Amino acid sequence: MNSEEFQKKLKTYQEPLSISVSVSLSNYFDIIKYILDDFSNNKNIPIIYISATIPSKSISTVLDVYGIDSKKIFFVDCISHIMMSSTTYTDRTVFVESPTMLETIMLKAEYILNKYVMKNSLVIVDSINSLAIHNDMKILSEFLHLFVTYLRSRSAYFIILSMKEQSNNEISNILNFVSDEILEVE
Amino acid sequence: MEKVRERCLTGIEALDNILNGGIPKGNTVLITGSAGTGKTTLSIEFLVHGAMKGEKGLYISVTEASEKLLENLIVYDFFSKEMIQKGIIFIDIPEIYEKLGMNKLQFSMEDINLLIENIVKIVTEFNVKRVVIDSITSICYRLQTEEKIMEFILRLSKALSELGCTTFLVSELLPSAKGYSQYGVEEAVSDGIILLGNLERRGDLLRTLRVVKMRGTSHSRATYVLDITSIGILLVPLLKGGGELI
Repeated sequence: MNSEEFQKKLKTYQEPLSISVSVSLSNYFDIIKYILDDFSNNKNIPIIYISATIPSKSISTVLDVYGIDSKKIFFVDCISHIMMSSTTYTDRTVFVESPTMLETIMLKAEYILNKYVMKNSLVIVDSINSLAIHNDMKILSEFLHLFVTYLRSRSAYFIILSMKEQSNNEISNILNFVSDEILEVE
Repeated sequence: MEKVRERCLTGIEALDNILNGGIPKGNTVLITGSAGTGKTTLSIEFLVHGAMKGEKGLYISVTEASEKLLENLIVYDFFSKEMIQKGIIFIDIPEIYEKLGMNKLQFSMEDINLLIENIVKIVTEFNVKRVVIDSITSICYRLQTEEKIMEFILRLSKALSELGCTTFLVSELLPSAKGYSQYGVEEAVSDGIILLGNLERRGDLLRTLRVVKMRGTSHSRATYVLDITSIGILLVPLLKGGGELI
């Protein structure tokens, strides 16, 4: 589907489910913008953004440029520490030392969900490919299976971003297993 | 039909689920692990949740002055200093030793009796329902023989259990230790063992928790990863990726 169709598709989601979104490098930021805009501004659903590709600070800057209020978004940043970037602790950003600490990612998401009592929320993983660089496939699929099951129990939407250019059969198999819907955006 | 024992909820939701509804009331549980694994934090949270339910707690500090401990304690969102002052009694054991004239390095059976009597007296006087001794290892150091350690823990457990108290005995382990306690006796006479550990996996250090034993309830024996947060201890299952508990 193209970007326009993707935006329309997002509007149809009214019940929590698990969606994998395959994007290309060229439309990566646009797709993030559409997702955040729809869930945050239109659906008014709090968002937990798990950043394993780009530090949360950089994503916040991009969102500001796009006019999306990043104050509505909680970040679980698992890349800044290993990049030795400066980390500014805020109420809305928690840091995980490394993307290999998959259990800690779940714990931090649970912490945000419990602390801010979000009945309806969206959790975004950006991206499965970045996590796949740091973790073996067995543990990554175990993580996503557990995480998606937990989020279903919390009635949360779950979006897993995957980069088309970096994908492979193993990643596709994991996404097929944990996703209710798979969307490919050209 | 199996008789279900009354439970003492730790207040740590995931741990209570692991224990099938909490710790059987009156149990003496060894909270064991090496340095930095979260033993004291877990024990304090157990007392705090009790205090929130109106159950008086007693924290007997052996190794660290309780004032210093409170200063360094993580600030939970769900309790205040006033609540601690009202719901939990903090006692530094050197004060008890001094009061009882127990200034010897090695305790006799008489000293042991005196110590137990004193703890029981405090528990009775204040109607305490949750007790933490942090750490039992430091007391055992002064008991020295296995017989005395066994006698002390058994008699203290029995007395506190009869008073309806659920007790945590904090045990310090060396990272290289093979068993669950320094003297080997503590683990044998406790009703339960909760093992806290550090798991090193590909350079990451994860805090872990496992309920090794708990009399009076069926429970999971799986390993969980633990996080200490301002909303309390959170647990998720350990992903099976290899690594050794250290």
